[in-house]
Amino acid sequence: MASRKGLTLTDVLITVVIALVFAIIYSIWGGVYTMLQPLGLHLNELVYGMWFIAAVVAYLIIRKPGVAIIAEFAAASGETIVMLQFDVMLMLYGLLQGLACEIVFAIVRYKSTALMVAVTAGVAAALSTLPLDWYYGYLGQLETWNLVLMIGFRVLSGALIAGWLAHALYRGLGETGVLKLVGARSPHRSEEL
Amino acid sequence: MMLQSIRKYETFVDRSNPITKIGLAAVLFLTVVLIHNPNYLFHLSLLLLLAMIILSGVKLRYLAALIAVMLLLGSISSLYMIFYGEGTTTLYSFGIIHITEESFVRGIHVMMRGLAVSFFGALIIFTTRITDVFYSLMQQLSLKPKYAYSFMAAVRMVPIIISEYVVLRQARKVRRALIHKKYVTGMKGFKTTIITLLSQSIRRAYRLGIAMESKGFDDGPRTYYHRTSFSISDIYLLLFIGACIFMSFQLGQIITPFETTDAR
Repeated sequence: MASRKGLTLTDVLITVVIALVFAIIYSIWGGVYTMLQPLGLHLNELVYGMWFIAAVVAYLIIRKPGVAIIAEFAAASGETIVMLQFDVMLMLYGLLQGLACEIVFAIVRYKSTALMVAVTAGVAAALSTLPLDWYYGYLGQLETWNLVLMIGFRVLSGALIAGWLAHALYRGLGETGVLKLVGARSPHRSEEL
Repeated sequence: MMLQSIRKYETFVDRSNPITKIGLAAVLFLTVVLIHNPNYLFHLSLLLLLAMIILSGVKLRYLAALIAVMLLLGSISSLYMIFYGEGTTTLYSFGIIHITEESFVRGIHVMMRGLAVSFFGALIIFTTRITDVFYSLMQQLSLKPKYAYSFMAAVRMVPIIISEYVVLRQARKVRRALIHKKYVTGMKGFKTTIITLLSQSIRRAYRLGIAMESKGFDDGPRTYYHRTSFSISDIYLLLFIGACIFMSFQLGQIITPFETTDAR
């Protein structure tokens, strides 16, 4: 069992629990995002990257196919549970953002934990939902300078929060020793509890 | 459950299958994105508001608070379009803010999109048990049990995670004199908090996962004590939402609060 290739129940459970920790943060983050909105100038987009962080952190920890999608989808649906508001749009966004990260991780074949991979995934996730926003929020009808500002802020935020911060969290988790439980799955894992 | 204590009665929405509700929510989202006539959308969101009030069975004062929050958040989230949207008929201009008639209607349109989806979403939350969602995903859509059970187990851990956070905060308060301030507030504090919560949760999930695997909560065929199925209530709900969409298109041609028929 220790060397099983696909996702085991334990892998899925750890992924979902990581996602739900972030779901709580997402819910609090929603308040930060809303408070920044009336300031205009899309300052709120600077915190947008937090919403992709679950996928990147879960991937860095488990590094198996499918983890990024499950994590981001679970975090998005977890957010709807914590907020007591079922939101299809949120889940769709989660799915798309998870998929974008997943593609980046598939390209590096689920091996690399480099900072650049995390940053690329964050940027990919930031770009992934723009088409949806374009239709939903009529972004094409925004004044051009404003639109450029918004996209720029969002990509920057994806790189910084979902990329750099996620990687920093991963390194911090490594120091706690908890990653020995999930990463390589050594045969004497019972000693590591 | 907490939600049940603020409800007065149950309706057919409670008895319809969670998959039907989620599917209809997705259809509704697509419909709302494809509607460009603010008059149609106005009536659709009004009808869904009524549906939430009547069919959820939730006491009115709780609903009133919820609706107030939804309206507030909705109007804030449409400000970007009202302030910076393109348009020719200027209503108000101050510095970089440039409100036009077109951008104002478009902002209201975006807000009504959000509201329409949220009203139905709230109705679903009030009338659905979370565990039922996973049981019907497994039984009707044959989702692999390992996904469903790990989600159900993880949801039960959320209160533990929250109480752990509270304990962590109290522990820091007690040791305030000993800990440098930078480890409590700001970026460093945020990071240490998350890492503590994550590492504890991973440890707990690992132990639980091993236990559940040995108990056979893995793949493979299983039998269920709780059974979910489709019923006549699903057809009622389907017809009801269909009627709401149809009615809003009819009413949108008769009663027109907006002059324009295209928000774009």
